[in-house]
Amino acid sequence: MVLSGRRFRQLFAVVIALALLAACGGPSASSGASGPPRSGGTLAIGIESEVDVLDPQRAGGWVSWRVNRQMFEPLVDEDLTKPSAETAVPALRPGLATSWELSPDGTVYTFHIRPNVKFHDGTPLDAAAVEFNVRRMWDKSFQYYDAKAAGQTTFVWQQLKSIATPDPMTIQLTMKQAFEPFVRLLSQGGSGSTGIMSPASIKQYGNDNVGEHPVGTGPFKFVDRVRGQRITLARNDDYWGTKPYLDKVVFRPLPDPSSRVASLRANEVDMIAVPPPDSVASLQQSGFQVSEGAPPHVWFLSFNFTDPIMKNKLVRQAINLAIDRQGMATNLLKDTVKPAYDVQAPANAAYVANTEAYGYNPDKAKQLLAQAGYPNGFSTTMMTSVDGSGQIIPVPMAEYIQQNLAKVGIQIQLQTTEWISYLTKWAQGTPTGVGWAQQSWGMTTPYWLYIVTSSSLKAPNGPNVGGYSNPQLDQVMQQAITATTEAAAVEKWKEANRIVTDDAAIAPIVNDKAPYILSSKVHGFVSASEEWYDLNTVWLS
Amino acid sequence: MIGFLVRRLLTTVLVLIGVSILVFLIMQLVPGDPVRTMLGQAATAERVTEVRHQLGLDRPLIVQYLDWALGVPRGDLGQSLTLSQPVSSILFPKLGNTMILAGGSLLICLVIGVPLGMVAARRQYTVVDRGSMFVALGGASVPVYWAGLVIINIFALKLGWFPTSGMHDTRNPGGFEDVLVHLVLPSIAAAVVPTAVVARMARGSMVEALHADHVQMLRASGVPERLVIWKHTLRNILPPVVNIVGLQAGYLLGGVIFVEVVFNWPGLGGQLYTSITAGDMPMIQAGVLFIALVFVVVNLVTDIAVALLDPRTRKEA
Repeated sequence: MVLSGRRFRQLFAVVIALALLAACGGPSASSGASGPPRSGGTLAIGIESEVDVLDPQRAGGWVSWRVNRQMFEPLVDEDLTKPSAETAVPALRPGLATSWELSPDGTVYTFHIRPNVKFHDGTPLDAAAVEFNVRRMWDKSFQYYDAKAAGQTTFVWQQLKSIATPDPMTIQLTMKQAFEPFVRLLSQGGSGSTGIMSPASIKQYGNDNVGEHPVGTGPFKFVDRVRGQRITLARNDDYWGTKPYLDKVVFRPLPDPSSRVASLRANEVDMIAVPPPDSVASLQQSGFQVSEGAPPHVWFLSFNFTDPIMKNKLVRQAINLAIDRQGMATNLLKDTVKPAYDVQAPANAAYVANTEAYGYNPDKAKQLLAQAGYPNGFSTTMMTSVDGSGQIIPVPMAEYIQQNLAKVGIQIQLQTTEWISYLTKWAQGTPTGVGWAQQSWGMTTPYWLYIVTSSSLKAPNGPNVGGYSNPQLDQVMQQAITATTEAAAVEKWKEANRIVTDDAAIAPIVNDKAPYILSSKVHGFVSASEEWYDLNTVWLS
Repeated sequence: MIGFLVRRLLTTVLVLIGVSILVFLIMQLVPGDPVRTMLGQAATAERVTEVRHQLGLDRPLIVQYLDWALGVPRGDLGQSLTLSQPVSSILFPKLGNTMILAGGSLLICLVIGVPLGMVAARRQYTVVDRGSMFVALGGASVPVYWAGLVIINIFALKLGWFPTSGMHDTRNPGGFEDVLVHLVLPSIAAAVVPTAVVARMARGSMVEALHADHVQMLRASGVPERLVIWKHTLRNILPPVVNIVGLQAGYLLGGVIFVEVVFNWPGLGGQLYTSITAGDMPMIQAGVLFIALVFVVVNLVTDIAVALLDPRTRKEA
């Protein structure tokens, strides 16, 4: 007999004993107590996907900027210490520039570089270092020019004509024409960023490898990265600004939503991004905190202006009125989003709520369709991805729209594609026969509207994928871009919003609230009106 | 034996070349431009063209393929398009992690599957036999993903014995012991189906062997049962069992991909998924090549083991 019953039982006993022994190193639960902020501890964050390169100028995606932002800083920054409820649009604040001036004609920006700032490698920050970084993203003749970084930051530098450094701590950027959005664009991330990197590190490792050895000036510095497992940052004790409370931050990619929730419940991470909508209520009941904001995140449809039916403005207006945005937000997405009532998000200075144009009114939609010559509706196709950065749950959302539109007689077929193929298809321009294409995007600068609607950026040259062209809009946006004060620019941008709304060129659907779930021992986390966050204020009890 | 080995190795090389060409061509058919994905929504056509040129993606397909293929024998698997790092520096650690997980599962599969099948066969048609085979049938029918979620729920969340996912502790990553603790649940999840299959196979072979004429003869001659099993039956069931274990090892390398997702195990599967969604051709090529290589090697080792165990197959080879 090979294994008697007794031996078999013995074997099982040994296996179980080994397993139990191993389990002794497992996690244990802890509870939190509030009080004055305390220094120390490691914050573990479960993030929704693997991070792109740790080269802030090259890296795409919000997920990457959330990590890179802790290590790298731009010249001008956004103040993310105020929650969306207090400050709808994050205020600009000095970053690596202490102050800046604009020439009266709006073409010359002069930045005064913050003194006594050192990169994590000990090299000093000065105007030459900043110039090095700008040339890396903009100057094709520069030795360290990087096409990938330039590709990501095209819109920031497109008007830049020349750079000068009149003294070691001053840099002057001269534009081809007045370019009001420039300063706000400097503070943006997600599609590359203008975070300043140590020139010494770029020279040492080269453009391709510097992302493995990131060296910035930010409140946290790089410790290690194990792909698929973690990125570890540690407090920068030499930081020029308010030093963080946390000793360390670990970003752990957990792409599977149920794994993220399980890791949070098992205390393996202290907070998670993008919780599945269905899990939020039960996590809250279990004592976890929910932090939500109002980032400039618009989930929208770009109507196809080459399609004969879609060319009709009444049809586009009818579609806008036939979509039940509030219903989608509440019933489908469990209030993790808000209905969108403007082409710009509320986190944008040019936001104008327009419930008249974007409210739910199926009766009026039917009237408009009848006026447009489609009393019995029509059939068309909607293009959407099945997944992707910031896309929420695109297919169920598209199906919701499908049901809404069926009620006014519009039959739509869904054409779904996975993200990489979708992005390529989307950027090629919406093909004939497809009524509209879906995307989610947005920025705190109103300039975003120019990027998606300007006739000079029609696909496939730029992101105006519906091929929308309106000379009046182009003119107003040009005035906004070349305005010399922010107030004047904002007024023009609001006018531009109204034109796009009247013309129904875009159908904004919802604004994401970007919820995070935090354990009870995490304090001081702020959901400001951005797609990313700062960790300087966070502490653990 | 030498001739057999040489022939098998030659076939292996041909299979690998075939696989690499196939993967390359399939990826060309898939719509989607990796540079578009890399540069995001805001990319202008001009910038996309510039980066495509820099990465050499505007060269003819045959040049791109040969450039890559000629590097492989020199150990150069190319650069990742999106990560700008040598493919090998990204993939080798991931392959190692997958091997650890597959190895852990294979161990469970052998330690539980083979004895379970033998005990069941020895007690054919008893409650032990029917009970264990019922459990095995259940195990073979369980979707891996579901099994993983149930295991996490019970052993990590309810009982708190093991971590829910990953390979190291998040806050204080440790060494060997840390990996071992994290390995238990995913390897059990990945082992469920292969263990069940091996148990059923072992039982079948054992039943057949125990009914063979020579066993009846040995028993009739009064040879002790212990000797009958250990000396005269075990060897007969080994070739089919080794065969099926080899097949399961191959299955495990493919099957652990789901387990890697559920348990967030940083293996080849997850990396390959990320690379496919980014259209990162050199990474996909090398990843698939690795899997094909391991599969072929496992098959080769299995065949050699069987040939050593069973002289009849050796003559045929």
